[in-house]
Amino acid sequence: MEGLAEQLEEIVGREAVVSGKDKIESYLSDETCFPVRPSAVSDCILVKPANSTEVSRILRLANEKRIPVYPRGGGTGLVGGAVPTRSGIIVSLERMNRIEVDGENLMAVAEAGATLGELLKAAEEAGLSFPPHPGDEGAQIGGLVACNAGGARAVKHGVMRSFVKGLEVVLPTGEIVTFGGRLLKDNMGYSLMHLIIGSEGTLGIITRVVLRLNPKAPYSFTLLLPFNSRHDALNTVPRILRSGVTPLALEYVEKELMELSAEHLGEKWVFEGKVFLIAILAGEENVVYSEAEKLSQLCVENNGLEPSVAERRDEQESILRIRSNIYTALKRDSMDILDTTVPPSAIGKLADAIDTIAEKYGAHIPVYGHAADGNVHSHIMKKDAEKYELIKREIYETTIGLGGTISGEHGVGKIRVKELYRFTHPKKIELMKGVKRLFDPNNILNPSTVLEV
Amino acid sequence: MLKIIVLIKQVPDIERVRFDVETGRIDRSSAPAEINPFDLNALEAAVQIKEKVGGFITALSMGPMQALSSLRDAMARGADDAILLEDRRFAGADTLATSNTLAAAIRKIGPYDIILCGEKTVDGDTGQVGAEVAQLLEIPHVYYVSRIVNVSGNSITVVSETEDASYVLETGFPVLVSVTRDVNKPRLPTLKSKMKAMKSEVKIWHAEDLSGFLDLDKAGYAGSPTWVHKVVVQREKTRQVRIYRQVEDGIQELMRLLESKGLI
Repeated sequence: MEGLAEQLEEIVGREAVVSGKDKIESYLSDETCFPVRPSAVSDCILVKPANSTEVSRILRLANEKRIPVYPRGGGTGLVGGAVPTRSGIIVSLERMNRIEVDGENLMAVAEAGATLGELLKAAEEAGLSFPPHPGDEGAQIGGLVACNAGGARAVKHGVMRSFVKGLEVVLPTGEIVTFGGRLLKDNMGYSLMHLIIGSEGTLGIITRVVLRLNPKAPYSFTLLLPFNSRHDALNTVPRILRSGVTPLALEYVEKELMELSAEHLGEKWVFEGKVFLIAILAGEENVVYSEAEKLSQLCVENNGLEPSVAERRDEQESILRIRSNIYTALKRDSMDILDTTVPPSAIGKLADAIDTIAEKYGAHIPVYGHAADGNVHSHIMKKDAEKYELIKREIYETTIGLGGTISGEHGVGKIRVKELYRFTHPKKIELMKGVKRLFDPNNILNPSTVLEV
Repeated sequence: MLKIIVLIKQVPDIERVRFDVETGRIDRSSAPAEINPFDLNALEAAVQIKEKVGGFITALSMGPMQALSSLRDAMARGADDAILLEDRRFAGADTLATSNTLAAAIRKIGPYDIILCGEKTVDGDTGQVGAEVAQLLEIPHVYYVSRIVNVSGNSITVVSETEDASYVLETGFPVLVSVTRDVNKPRLPTLKSKMKAMKSEVKIWHAEDLSGFLDLDKAGYAGSPTWVHKVVVQREKTRQVRIYRQVEDGIQELMRLLESKGLI
């Protein structure tokens, strides 16, 4: 590390190089629950490049000196992906935050450091929309792509991967390469772009992204479908999907968690019913109303209660705010947050199995999730820390048994490597390692993330 | 069965609406129009009173034809009847002319027990109309009601908040009650009531319908003693927040700033 700061200053300028624990402290952690978050090494140098050429020079230097490099976006990850665990260089993309909207092609070209909030605003101002909403609007585009973020609004249009059309990436060996473009069709050889998406900062540093946008829906509407039993609610989900109505989002929540979250926000949850499906519908007003009627009918046919509807912006936002803050309300007392995902029709079985596991270990495991995606969030609480490994293992085994995956959204990061190995065919691990070596022969980029090479 | 009238105003979604900084005008096309948020609390209070002691709720609004959508929303949320006061001659009204028109309509509606309204509207922000209506109708009013303690067939007990005290007040009927946002959490309409309300009839009363109740010289622009001289739209300023990790550095900078402004 001797003389490294000076060399980095030469590349990015003195102002953009920072070191010293107190100054880089906020770059050493992410949103991973504290008890399972990897411990960070503070002997790191933080650099804030202004363009991909600077990123390239940083990576060439690091590769030459075999110094670990930790790419950093908004720091909103939940599996320790951005936490530096060895002495090295943290590359924050925050200064690269320009966004250009190409209204003719319905695309946005965003630099990696632009935030989700900024992208949503830019799209809105251009009369367009970016449908996915993977939670925290402080998340940066580079990170969202690197982690193939999901979130609630994936039912109709898919996760980040569905929206990425092109990438500019700086490889660990320093080359700047582009994949795809403002294209809706591209079959020129293997799709390396899709290998980069979801690679969690281990194959290259994403510097620019071409994203597909949609026309803005003229009207949107949040429908609250209340039920008195989890089974009735979750059994309704496949029926909704088969009915031909595809909501933007279809969430499953339970009353006690909504009350807890509302209280945490200083609001109130005043609806009757023990569990709820929350559907976001968007489109022309008359279409949305007829879709809502269809969902309402299915709800009633499946023993649901009378559905309510939020049409006003403030009322829609209030419901979604309370839904999104379940996570923040629980987080302080959480040991770990799982994001297991099963085929959508098996979500009820998974939720029940988690209840059985909770009962077996005398634990409290709050459950909610993205119902139409089969994606269940379950929190293992701090008070059950002693049984954490056992509970987690059983939830994972059950999920795999149902044909699912241990991570539908958060990724592997640095805290699920062991589980990835346990539940993945060895040949697949070998192939993944081969890919990693090909891109990053000296294993400098976000080491110990996804794989141990 | 209590007869309850709820005053409703349609306003633009104030967090979305754009202001023309040069002319001080609101660009109404830039945001959807909806029931004034405070009026939702008034309506919810009316529905809760009705649930408790029985009642008939009439939502009353003055505005252009577009306001029909807000009155339909009020019906979806529990109003039994809705009346829109629409006439070119009602337009351009200040709070006094508005109150004259609303009071005339209330006289025409006939006997009533409680008039409920929100403490103010988010676009005008004056908070005057409720009290003016009560004054014109020569009935008592209670403002800034944060809680309805009790209601019976002939009286209501409420908590009224002032800057330095909370008063528990009991009053007979008729009375006008103006509520704050603390009074309740408005429920959402059910889809069923929303669909039903879309087909419900909203009564529309023009100037002729109020003849004998309203002196047209006291309505609309002609009846408005308030003249707007100029509207100034505040430009958004970014606060210069600085965080000092070293407390000493922060204190020194603060001292320097206070000294430079001659404050110490």
